[in-house]
Amino acid sequence: MKAYYFLAQAQIALRQSAAAVLSAKEAHRLCVEEVHKGGKGASSIGPITELVLRCKKEDWEARETERLQRQTGLANELEVLLWKEREARARGLEDKAAMGLLNEDMLEAEMMKLEDEFQQKANDVRKMAVAAGIAGEEAKKRVVPDWCLDDITFSVMVDPVVTRTGQSYDRSSIMEHLKRSKTDPLTREPLRMEDLRPNLALKEACAGFLAENGWAVDW
Amino acid sequence: MATGFATKRLSKELAKIHGSLPPGITLFSAEGFQEWFLDIKVLDANPLYMNQTYRLKFKFSPSYPIEPPEVTFVTATDRPIPIHPHIYSNGIICLDLLGQQGWSPVQNVESVCMSLQSMLTGNIKNERPEGDEYFVAHNRRRPRDIDFYYHDNTV
Repeated sequence: MKAYYFLAQAQIALRQSAAAVLSAKEAHRLCVEEVHKGGKGASSIGPITELVLRCKKEDWEARETERLQRQTGLANELEVLLWKEREARARGLEDKAAMGLLNEDMLEAEMMKLEDEFQQKANDVRKMAVAAGIAGEEAKKRVVPDWCLDDITFSVMVDPVVTRTGQSYDRSSIMEHLKRSKTDPLTREPLRMEDLRPNLALKEACAGFLAENGWAVDW
Repeated sequence: MATGFATKRLSKELAKIHGSLPPGITLFSAEGFQEWFLDIKVLDANPLYMNQTYRLKFKFSPSYPIEPPEVTFVTATDRPIPIHPHIYSNGIICLDLLGQQGWSPVQNVESVCMSLQSMLTGNIKNERPEGDEYFVAHNRRRPRDIDFYYHDNTV
């Protein structure tokens, strides 16, 4: 558990964020095993949960940067292609003039038309790229839905567990609460660690939300 | 739990408080994440508290919200200590949800303010707790370490 914990930290430092996520999750899995066995590693659940969140955020940031680079790259490539096309058409017109099919004035007029047309197209490509970027930003309204938040820390849950009331908490924060008081936070009924059940569907949903919204870790 | 636990949660609470608060509750100051001051008003026509505003001091420990915040009424200009059978004249409040036993980490600054609002609203007795003078003169303990006796549920 400790080894994976340090491995994940090293991988973050080396910018291997995808591998760091896997290592942190492995440390978390081993820690939950300790929790069930009642081993002393159980007390590390807090820092390990935090590390999983941090790795996920780093990984999301890496993927986000890559995506933005790809998008700008694509816009630039399209522009280069457009200018090549323009050059080819211009040469075609010059050839026609050389063969005497166009006189001087007609050639100039055709060239002007060609220039305008491609200026317009290049502008459109740039505008589309900017619009796509804005649309992307707007789609991410940067609101964290309540269902993925832990009611104790107000952070996105990594390992939600559910109590009798149907309310889910992150394993790390409800354990911290149970250390102090063995009661359900909502009803104050007796609650033991053994009564907690993992909420697998919610866990998947939270992981899915974080994969798309890594910024939510720092929200 | 790692450091920054309380800070993170409080910064989220503060963001929400800056966004909106229920009627009768206003933030007076929140500098840092150790002490906040909020003003509360009773909204109905209870003659004991009508047209009066009271100031609450919240003190947070690094293990908030696992540990309860220390909440007391404080005096300032136009901010007296409300009269109530569970509020000592030095501002110390006897409310189970603020004690070690009654606190739950799903409570927050806003919900505590609302509970205190309704504690005042529902009160009709124009009196201080029994032994107020002695308590105020002799108590040196911190509010959270005092074992209040929560037997009287009628007020």
